[in-house]
Formats: sequence, structure tokens, C-alpha cells
Amino acid sequence: MSLGVSIAALMRASLLTTMRYRASFFGEVAMAVAWAFWTTVPLFVVFDQAPTLAGWTTEEALAVVGFFIIAQGVLEALVDPNLRAVVEHVRQGTFDFVLLKPIDAQLYVSLHRTEPLKLVHCVVGAGVVAYAAKAVDAGPVELLSATLLMFAGLTLLHSLWTVVVSSAFFFVKVDNLSWLIRAGLDAGRWPVSLYRGFVRFVLTFVLPIGLVTTYPALALRGELKPSTGLGAMVIAVLFAGVARIAWTQSLRRYSSASS
Amino acid sequence: MFRAFPTLLRIGFAEAVAYRAELVIWVLTATAPLISMFIWDRVAEEGPLGGWGQGEMARYFLLTLIVRHLTSAWVVWELNENIRTGGLSPMLLRPMHPLVFFVAQNLSAMPLRAVILAPLIVGVLWWRPELVWTPEPWTLLLGLVSAVFAWAIAFAAQVIFGSLAFFSQQSLGLFNVYFGLWSLGSGYLFPLELAPDWLRQLLLWLPFRATLATPVELLAGLVAWEDALGLVAAQVVWAVVFVGLAAMTWNLGVRRHEAVGA
Repeated sequence: MSLGVSIAALMRASLLTTMRYRASFFGEVAMAVAWAFWTTVPLFVVFDQAPTLAGWTTEEALAVVGFFIIAQGVLEALVDPNLRAVVEHVRQGTFDFVLLKPIDAQLYVSLHRTEPLKLVHCVVGAGVVAYAAKAVDAGPVELLSATLLMFAGLTLLHSLWTVVVSSAFFFVKVDNLSWLIRAGLDAGRWPVSLYRGFVRFVLTFVLPIGLVTTYPALALRGELKPSTGLGAMVIAVLFAGVARIAWTQSLRRYSSASS
Repeated sequence: MFRAFPTLLRIGFAEAVAYRAELVIWVLTATAPLISMFIWDRVAEEGPLGGWGQGEMARYFLLTLIVRHLTSAWVVWELNENIRTGGLSPMLLRPMHPLVFFVAQNLSAMPLRAVILAPLIVGVLWWRPELVWTPEPWTLLLGLVSAVFAWAIAFAAQVIFGSLAFFSQQSLGLFNVYFGLWSLGSGYLFPLELAPDWLRQLLLWLPFRATLATPVELLAGLVAWEDALGLVAAQVVWAVVFVGLAAMTWNLGVRRHEAVGA
């Protein structure tokens, strides 16, 4: 069975589940718009007091918020529901059924509980980014590099979640931990250069939300050095590798529900 | 009821201790004021804003964090869960009002919350020692009174949204909408004093300020004497309105309640 066929099948299953609740679509659209509004108000209050802050204007910082909304959307549609289900599988013993399927377990759990409806948030976020891109006069090169960096950042986010979920095989109840990380990621709605010292270090290297939201915005402004951008992508690939190792190693420790 | 209350507090405290790890996580997830503190600290670095320097910013957001946690309620989730699962039925049979039980549960977790917050408070004090101030006795006293009202309003608001679970499956969603508006309008994410004029004027007429910003600004000594009384008076009015609405939704809801065996 080829990889593409399985991915398509998993996606179709998720989409069919969602389409059973068609009325929720309009609710989700309303929520996404309200949420975007909610996310941008603090930004406007800050920039009402200081027209530029650490070299960021309102529009440039708005691009960061846009990427933040996209990242949150991907988190809620793809990353969080899927990986949180793993915790449930481990606790209830149904994880054995996942392992029995003739498909890579990591790929399967990363896609099997996708909530496509939440991607509405990404559309709204993309709208915010588009507005910001127009305001800062981004050319095609900037747009392309920003998009690439965004995907690198999202890969990072997914890897981070995979590592956390892998620890479920040892500690079982880790779903609260994902709330904790999400609270930390909330810092990503601001350009990472507004933070100082230790906090900035953490947000760049430990909980790398700075990479997910600030770097694409810098690329959009055309102010990201190619070497930095390349470095960010290398880090993303490295993180994905680490996540893969963490997953396979934890899987080896998994002693099934029935044995 | 008054004889049972100390026992209820003891039970609540024991419960909080039993689930301490979870409590740590819940406290740490509500640390948005710290993020705002870093950002506004950076804004104030360029020069004080309307009399607010870096010290005042740190003081404001540290107090926001403390007041938020020591006046917080979670009865909306408890009510929702118990109404949906039927857990409310045995509570209704007890010779005391179920909400009394939730009040005790809520109050008895406060000491442990304070302990969990302590390292964060020490950290902020170490980072920005200039936030320390000598409060005047009257602002301190009025601030504490105001914090009690803030808690009462927050608790009543959650009872209202929790009781909506008697009527609708979507009550938690409605509460989330309320929470979103609250976090923008209460001074949780930014000081209302520094908001644009039109927004500040609007928020004067909404209840959110009374649940957080009023006690915080009083305790921080950022309010003049003549404004302070008006702000606390507004809190009293909102407390009456919210408690009245809470009693109404609860009473209407319980009458409709048709759980298993009820």
C-alpha cells in the first residue's frame, strides 16, 4: 500500500466525520473571526502607545499575529487532536489496535483524528498575513521564503508534540501537559525580539514558537538573512528526526495492554 | 449549614492537595499576565507612559496574576460536568444547597494556589525589584474588600454560565465567548488605563473591570481616592446584578432538571 493512498484515506475519513456536522461549519467560521479579533486587540493597544517597538511597526507585528493564528489553527486541526488521542489509546489499551494496522504507527496517529473544520482558523490567519504582506510590500521571493519558513515552523511544532506524547508511554497521563505547552506558545503572538534574555532564549530554542511566528514574519519583511532561514529549516528537520527517534524508542518500551 | 462549612473547607483542601500536580498545571496555564508583563515592560523601557514606568508595569501585572488566581472560580466546569452526568442529583438530596459545596471547594483551594504562585512571585521580584511599593493603608484595605467583590462577581458569572447547562449543550462555548471578552475588558491582558480612549470609555460600562482591574489598581496604589469609591460602588452594583441573575438561572434550571432518577 503506497503512502499517498493511506494519507488520502485517513484524510477522507476525517472529512466525512466532519461533514456529518455541517451546521458546525458556520459556528466555526464565526469563532475563527472572533478569535482573530481577540488575538489582535492587545497588539493594537500596545502599538497605540508605541508606534514602533524594537524595530517592529504595527503591520509587521500583525504579520506575526497572522502566522500565530495559522499555527494555532494547525495545532487544533492536526497536531493536538491526533496526538492527544494517543494518550487516550495508551490509557484505555486500544493502542494495540493501532500497532496492528499495516501502516507506520507514527503516520497513522498523526492523521487519524484530524479535525479539518479547525483549518478555518488557518484561512483567517492567512488573511491577516496577506493584509500585512500588502502593507509591507512583500515581493514573490519574500512570500515564498516566508511560506517555506512557516512550514519549517509547523514541522517543529508537530515534532515537539510528538516528543511530549511519546512520554505518555512512560507517564500515561500527559494530556494536561499539552495545555501547559499551549500556554507557553501563547507568547508567540508577539515578535520574539520583544523579549529579553532568558525568556527569548526559551522561546527560540526550547519552546521554539519564535521560529514558528517571528521568522516567517521577518522573511516577509525581507530582513531574514538567508543563512538564518536555512538554519531554521535545518533545525526543523533535526527536530523531526529527534521526534522520530523519541517515538520509536518509546514504542519499544510499550508493553501492550494485554501482555 | 454553618456547622458543616468548616468540614466542607477541610474536604476541599484535602482534594486540592490530592490533585496538587494538576493544580500546578492549571495555575501555570493561566500565566498570560507574565507574557503581557514582558511586552509592556519593553514598551515602558522607552519612557514612562502616563506615569507608568517599568516598576509600575511589573507591579500591575504581578498583582494581576495574584488577584486573578486568588479570586478565580471554576464552578462553571464543575456544574456543567455534574449536570450532564447526573452527578448533581445526589448533591440536590443533601440537606444543603449544592452551590454552598462549590463555594467551599473554591475557597479551600486558595491557600495551595498561593503556595504554587509563590516561586513565580519571587522570580518577578528578583527580576524587577523596583516594583516594590509602600501601599497606603486605605488602598490596601479597600483593595482587599474589592477583591472579595471581584471573586463574588466571577463566581456568580460562572454559576450563570454553568446553570445554562440545564438548558443547552453549548453552555461551555458561551462561557468561552464570555471569557474572551473578559480577558480583553478586565485588564488581564493590558492595563485599561493604557487602552485607547474609546475602549476605556466603553469598558467603564461593562462588568469585566469589576472582576479584576479594580482590585488590582487599588492594591497597586494606582487609583486616586475619589475614583476609588466610585469603582468599588460599581463593583457592589455588579455583584448584586450577577448574584441575582445567578440565583434566577439556577432556580429556573433546577426546575427543568431531569437527570437519571430525578
